[in-house]
Amino acid sequence: MLNRLLKFLMMAVALSFTSASLAASSPTDDVRTSVDAILVILQNGELDVQQKRADISKIITKRFDFRAMSQRTLATNWKKTSDEEKKQFTALFSQLIESSYVGKIEAYTNEKVEYPGEKVKGKKAVVETLILTSSADIPVNYKLYQKGDQWLVYDVIIEGISLISNYRSSYQEIMKDEGFDGLLNKMQAKIDELSSAAS
Amino acid sequence: MTRKILPVILLCIAPLALAAPPESRRDFIENIGEVPEEQQQAAPEQQQVAPPVLEDMETQGTDEQAEPWMEDDDLSFLDDDEEILEVYDPWETYNRGMFWFNDKAYFWVMKPVARGWRWLAPEPLRLGVRNFFSNLRAPIRFINAALQGKFRVAGDEITRFAVNSTLGIGGLYDPAKAHWDIEMQIEDTGQTLAHYGVGPGPYLVLPFLGPSNVRDGIGLLPDIYYSLVPQVFENRYYWIAISTDIINFLSIDKDTYEGIKRDALDPYLFLRDAYSQYRLNLILH
Repeated sequence: MLNRLLKFLMMAVALSFTSASLAASSPTDDVRTSVDAILVILQNGELDVQQKRADISKIITKRFDFRAMSQRTLATNWKKTSDEEKKQFTALFSQLIESSYVGKIEAYTNEKVEYPGEKVKGKKAVVETLILTSSADIPVNYKLYQKGDQWLVYDVIIEGISLISNYRSSYQEIMKDEGFDGLLNKMQAKIDELSSAAS
Repeated sequence: MTRKILPVILLCIAPLALAAPPESRRDFIENIGEVPEEQQQAAPEQQQVAPPVLEDMETQGTDEQAEPWMEDDDLSFLDDDEEILEVYDPWETYNRGMFWFNDKAYFWVMKPVARGWRWLAPEPLRLGVRNFFSNLRAPIRFINAALQGKFRVAGDEITRFAVNSTLGIGGLYDPAKAHWDIEMQIEDTGQTLAHYGVGPGPYLVLPFLGPSNVRDGIGLLPDIYYSLVPQVFENRYYWIAISTDIINFLSIDKDTYEGIKRDALDPYLFLRDAYSQYRLNLILH
């Protein structure tokens, strides 16, 4: 009891120093809200595929920071690109990330998601989730950072594999061979391919 | 039969390992172990360039930068605990060839058979088959966990083997997990070698088995040999058992490879990096 009171007091003191985080929700709350909303859409039998995708897209756009993801994927190349190129890359990349993430989530529509824990360190956090399926439990961790009173996802780690690190190393390799324009062309071609397969 | 095949595989792989110049092997574990977080944070990037104001005649661009979208947040703090993994792949030409071969074997042979099996056998049966083979590998997992000093995991594996072989009817069921919450951990010889400082060596795509590296490829030999599969199934039954295991595994898998082919710009690069990250994560935990 005393212990709890102490913890509470300490938290109150800490919070009063960081005005921005006063009204903030916990990173797990933010992830849970988004994941639950996506699952509700996926399980809704009345929506067609296009409608589902559009609704999910809205939720993901709110929770994922595509610009931060783009910046981290291009890493040192980010500073070398012009603003126009950054804009172009971010637009294409967000579509690819979204499609890839939704594709993975869709495979587990009817499964339960658990939230075993979170780690918060300053303005960064990792939220652990576990998708329980009949054949295996799949750990999916979200890396978030705090922006205003919101936690935004900047990386998703599935079974120890970071999505962003993975894109980064592939894209750097492609850029080495074909340049930045070559990479953009490939991304556009992949998006066209994905959208023609969906319709 | 199996006793004859193994040395042949070993002979095929060993020269490849020797061909790698030792100094060019990247030891991921070492690199990562040596980056204390404080040190990284102690060097904040003070590269916040002030707007290149008036000297620059081409200032039309600054209008764009004023857009809220264009503000370049300093997100470098997100990279503090970030390590960049570079995979050493001097045999990329061979590897891409084998990748192509595996791709065809997967789509033309293995997956159609796995689909047939998926259609034929209800999921509980297929999970039982998976549990059965997994249980036969408990002893080698135990040895590898113990060799890495993971004694709790080693104890868990012994318990699991005892419980599942008996109450679980020869390993078909997994009561150790279902009732006692003792979960299987992936432990193999590749991880044990890494624990003793062996680097991954060159990336290596194995026929049918897919992504690996020289260290993990060599580690497969004791893992295969000292699993109980060759003890239980002899001669041609051994190969039937191995094929059943693989096909059954693919029938449970939720089309992971199809998803990768759909999403990735270059599936070869995607898998190469994903495998390396996946292994590194196993080694560190």
